[in-house]
Amino acid sequence: MTSSNTERRRPACRRRADGLGIARLAAIWLLIGGPLLLSAAFMVAYSVGLTGLLAHGLSFAAWAKVLGDRVTWVTLGFSFWVGGASLGVSMLGALIVLARRPARAAPPGRSDLTPWFLPIAVPPMVAGLTAVLWLGNAGALARWAYALGWIRRPADFPSPIYSTGGLGIIVTQAALVLPFLVVLFDRLSRVHRIRELGEAARTLGASPLAAWIRVGVPLLLRAATPTLGVYFLALSGAFEIPLLVGATYPTMLSVRVAQLFGQFDLSTRPQAYALALLYALVASVCAAVALRVRARPPRTERV
Amino acid sequence: MRAERARPLRRSATLALTAAFLAPVALLLVWSFAGRWPWPAPLPSRWRASAWIDLAGTGGLGAAALRSLGIATTVAFAATGLGFVTCRSAAEARSRDVLRLLLHLPFALSPVVLGVGLEYSFLRAGLAGRTAGVVLAQGMLAYAYALILLSGLWNARTRAYLEGAATLGAAPRQGWVLVLLPIARPLLVLCFVQTFLISWFDYALVLLIGGGRVVTLTTSLYQFLLSGDLRLAAASALLLLLPPLVALAAHRHLRPTAFAADPGF
Repeated sequence: MTSSNTERRRPACRRRADGLGIARLAAIWLLIGGPLLLSAAFMVAYSVGLTGLLAHGLSFAAWAKVLGDRVTWVTLGFSFWVGGASLGVSMLGALIVLARRPARAAPPGRSDLTPWFLPIAVPPMVAGLTAVLWLGNAGALARWAYALGWIRRPADFPSPIYSTGGLGIIVTQAALVLPFLVVLFDRLSRVHRIRELGEAARTLGASPLAAWIRVGVPLLLRAATPTLGVYFLALSGAFEIPLLVGATYPTMLSVRVAQLFGQFDLSTRPQAYALALLYALVASVCAAVALRVRARPPRTERV
Repeated sequence: MRAERARPLRRSATLALTAAFLAPVALLLVWSFAGRWPWPAPLPSRWRASAWIDLAGTGGLGAAALRSLGIATTVAFAATGLGFVTCRSAAEARSRDVLRLLLHLPFALSPVVLGVGLEYSFLRAGLAGRTAGVVLAQGMLAYAYALILLSGLWNARTRAYLEGAATLGAAPRQGWVLVLLPIARPLLVLCFVQTFLISWFDYALVLLIGGGRVVTLTTSLYQFLLSGDLRLAAASALLLLLPPLVALAAHRHLRPTAFAADPGF
């Protein structure tokens, strides 16, 4: 009785479930794709003078100004330099930390990475403030350097804060991202059995360093490429840390867009939208490429 | 033997890491109580608790902290709830590659680019400069994150459990409540905490969508720093650190699982 009822009900249930699934998928596209498309359409319209308070019909003046301005390319280049350097430094740090970790895994239910989770609790705004308070010309380190007789004036302290090369931003961002990468690489090395592969390489005569560099690191980097790509973009488009720690020139893209957008002179707004669109285009292409790189299954599973 | 030799090394690394985290917190604490701290004194010459007294008062920092808490809690509840309900459709969608890119785009784009793009539509909808607008803008970001995280729930094992429950006569709703929810609970807690933090940490969207009228802890911190009041900036920073640290301390199981979850995308 019950089973025949179930069989009769199944097609109706399946139809209802399919309908619900389509509705849920539509909700996802509407709630995330909708605002993104709307934003892009509006930014295009504003940047070509089709909408906005000062719109006078179709004009590519803002685009010409943005594309012809050296500052635009310096800003983009600087953003990608800072993003790449921050990621590079933190990747290097994470790989060194994992190379130095003992092979024995932590007991189940306990993570020997617990201290690495503490910096994850730090918001970028707080990281920027602490960088200023520690590393600034009048920061804690400068005061200690004075007390030790190493410097006489605040200006004598070699502070990375507000440096034109973005050193302060790179140091602060790398310090924030390092714990994420340590945890990510640790997780990936377990999934891809990198310890075991390294041990196999050592059995075949490789030194521990060679096994790590020639077996572990390439596998880890390949597996982490999609995540690292998104991290690179997030670091290149960061706002709070460059705002607090960065120099007035060159600035990172987010700061430049916010400056153009927030000025009293509304005529710079179309340029802000054009610059934002330019970055959105580059970032979307980079994200699409990074996400297409799939982690290959570990060799041990393919055999 | 080798593990025993490694133990002191591991212990000292743990200590060094904890110290590296605690030193900035200690400096913030000192600054929040500093009355006067001229260069080059290594410590403040006078101490005051006015930043914390202001926090305990009804206005200023206390109100900003409460607003931040309200926004972040709403965003986390909405994103986690909606994410849980819709994550199966995302995990089983045919156009997974496109959806994967769509869900990652809000993070790949700068929050400023996102905020600048959303601002005009929100202005037209009467949401700019209002708390609801900030919640919606942050909610979009948090929802995308929730879907990325919760889609990992729909692996072969979960499906097998649900099919097993259905074979034993459980209705779909019973399957969700009695089977899926217990399996998903740790991931849902993690998702709630992470989406809470996305909102709690946000500055750009509050600035651009809130337009200066929605004051949260992050915008307060920046304003205090701009005005040169490092005491209040430090107190704001310590308040910003509090919920994430409480979350880490309270949910011990979050730590090992925080990145152990297999995101579906």
